[in-house]
Amino acid sequence: MEYGVPQETVLYLLLLPFVVTLVALFRQIFGIKAFGIYTPTLVTFSFLVVGVKYGVAIFLAVVIIGILSRFLLKKLRLLYLPRIAITLTLISFAVLALLIFGGSIQRTGFAAISIAPIIIMIALVEKIVATQIEHGTKEAVIISLQTLFISLVGYHLMGLPSFQNLLMTYPWIVLSTIFINILVGKWTGLRINEWWRFRTLLK
Amino acid sequence: MVSLFKKSRSILGMNARNLHYIRPNNFKKARVIADNKLLCKKTLKKGALPTPKLIATIRTHDELEHFSWENLPSTFALKPNRGFGGGGIVVVYGKSKKDTSTWIKADGSKIGIQDLKEHIHNILDGSFSLSGTPDVAFFEERMRISKTFKPYAFKGIPDIRLIIYNNVPIMAMLRLPTKESGGKANLQQGAIGVGIDMASGITTTAICGKKATPVDYVPGTRLFLSGIKIPYWNDILHFAVEAQKLSGLGFLGADIAIDRENGPIFLELNARPGLQIQVANQSGLKERLARVEGLKIKNTAHGVRVGKNLFGGEIEESLEEISGKKVIGTTETIKLISQNGKELEVKAKIDTGAFSTSLDSSLAKKLGYEKILEQFDSIDQSQYKITRGNYESIKKDILHKLKKETALFKDIALIHSASGSTLRPIIELNFIMDNTLVTSKVNVVDRSNLQYPILIGRKDLKKFLIEIH
Repeated sequence: MEYGVPQETVLYLLLLPFVVTLVALFRQIFGIKAFGIYTPTLVTFSFLVVGVKYGVAIFLAVVIIGILSRFLLKKLRLLYLPRIAITLTLISFAVLALLIFGGSIQRTGFAAISIAPIIIMIALVEKIVATQIEHGTKEAVIISLQTLFISLVGYHLMGLPSFQNLLMTYPWIVLSTIFINILVGKWTGLRINEWWRFRTLLK
Repeated sequence: MVSLFKKSRSILGMNARNLHYIRPNNFKKARVIADNKLLCKKTLKKGALPTPKLIATIRTHDELEHFSWENLPSTFALKPNRGFGGGGIVVVYGKSKKDTSTWIKADGSKIGIQDLKEHIHNILDGSFSLSGTPDVAFFEERMRISKTFKPYAFKGIPDIRLIIYNNVPIMAMLRLPTKESGGKANLQQGAIGVGIDMASGITTTAICGKKATPVDYVPGTRLFLSGIKIPYWNDILHFAVEAQKLSGLGFLGADIAIDRENGPIFLELNARPGLQIQVANQSGLKERLARVEGLKIKNTAHGVRVGKNLFGGEIEESLEEISGKKVIGTTETIKLISQNGKELEVKAKIDTGAFSTSLDSSLAKKLGYEKILEQFDSIDQSQYKITRGNYESIKKDILHKLKKETALFKDIALIHSASGSTLRPIIELNFIMDNTLVTSKVNVVDRSNLQYPILIGRKDLKKFLIEIH
């Protein structure tokens, strides 16, 4: 502002602690898993930058192609990194196709979005594939959808103009996230999903 | 609502497991042992604990090129050292008869040296290890399923997961591979988990798969999952506690399988044991862990004793719950119901060696059957020479003579006993045993010289389990 830092940059830096706190809350209290803390945070910010419509479209494209590519590439029996490289290539093509398709139906907004968030979302395919290898396709789809859910909640909360105004007026409220995380970090009660998981023990 | 929260406090959730049990008890140095199968084997061997015999290790691509395949036995398991969830494991059951460089897998498919080589290349490159780091491949002897578990398991080897804390065995679960789990003893993949009573080593309640659906039988069979007696139970508990001392894992999940010839053998140590074991046992871990917290455990035997005493002994009650059968003793006080509806309490002998139930004749008379017994006695038995062959015709003859009384008189039994063959009248009798009404056809005989006026035979014990003290 006075020192030449763009207002948007300041806003995003102030929003970041809230997004990561939200992810931590979802995991520890609700038991909703995402691909770590990093992926849902990046996806949330990508949504904030490119808009939720295009963001979700790209996210779903990445998930679908990431998961299908494992079945396509399985028969080739490739080593891990070359295989991921091919998967990323396929996703690049798909996103490019989406952009061209968007342009052809006069959705110029799609073509105008900045490239950095798109690349970030494409890169999250590695997490999806790694989960697919370790825990199976079903688990990878479930965690992808949970990541999407957290990111959407994050997008809607962080996108609230009243919340953004509050944050810009009283930036120090960011410090409250530290207290929240200390409380969450010491919480040893059952997670919401565990009440369901252990329901037969609670009867 | 209040009781719900109270109950929830006995359950161990992810947050509490990580913060209170894994973090302060399983340090990096110990966790390394759990994640490295070869190191784990070495550690357990130091304490003379049984592990599958190592056949060979392959650490580099170069070693793989110079590997002497002819030294491999006809059956083995090939594993990645840092594999997870059973990925990358190849098990062969025998060599092909035609071609000595081809082995046969569980599903009958063949695997040659070239296939094995390719698989080992993949292992070395880290295709099966966490985050794709380069790995080591090794061959070890294949375990053979014990006879006890054979009918219960689909293809693979069942194993027993034990949670050990403060040198006390806390909880245990038998894991049975199913068709759905592809022969793997992994609940996430659809295996069955069966709770185990810590004192007796007898299975209790069971769940199936990731969703933890309660099950009573092995899918597709009428095999009861409860009541399985785990062989070598004491040894298993001792080994698991020893493994805690050797590995330094303060919150340990030990996986032990039972080999047909060699008995219990360690499969794996786990530094982050799952929580589903609580559902299989229908019991919370948190409460159990709290009970052994801070106890001074002098030695392994002491730890095992504490675990058995604290977390066992509910088997009788749960057996009744699960099987729907009542547990009775070898003698039982029962209530006989007389012809006019009165109850008469007597002490009965439970005898699984006898087929049908026998009632003393004087007692039968008291119960209102005197008329029919008198009639039966009026027939001179000496006129018949009883053999197995003419039994039917004699029976017909007598029944004809007693026709008038058929409402009470049910049949005649030919009983072969140590004192020779006798004919006995059969009457219908109702009695109450352990609050269960039993309607039985009992034979009547003079038991005045015997200790119990009534003996209950197998035919009337179908609803009961008998406990021998």
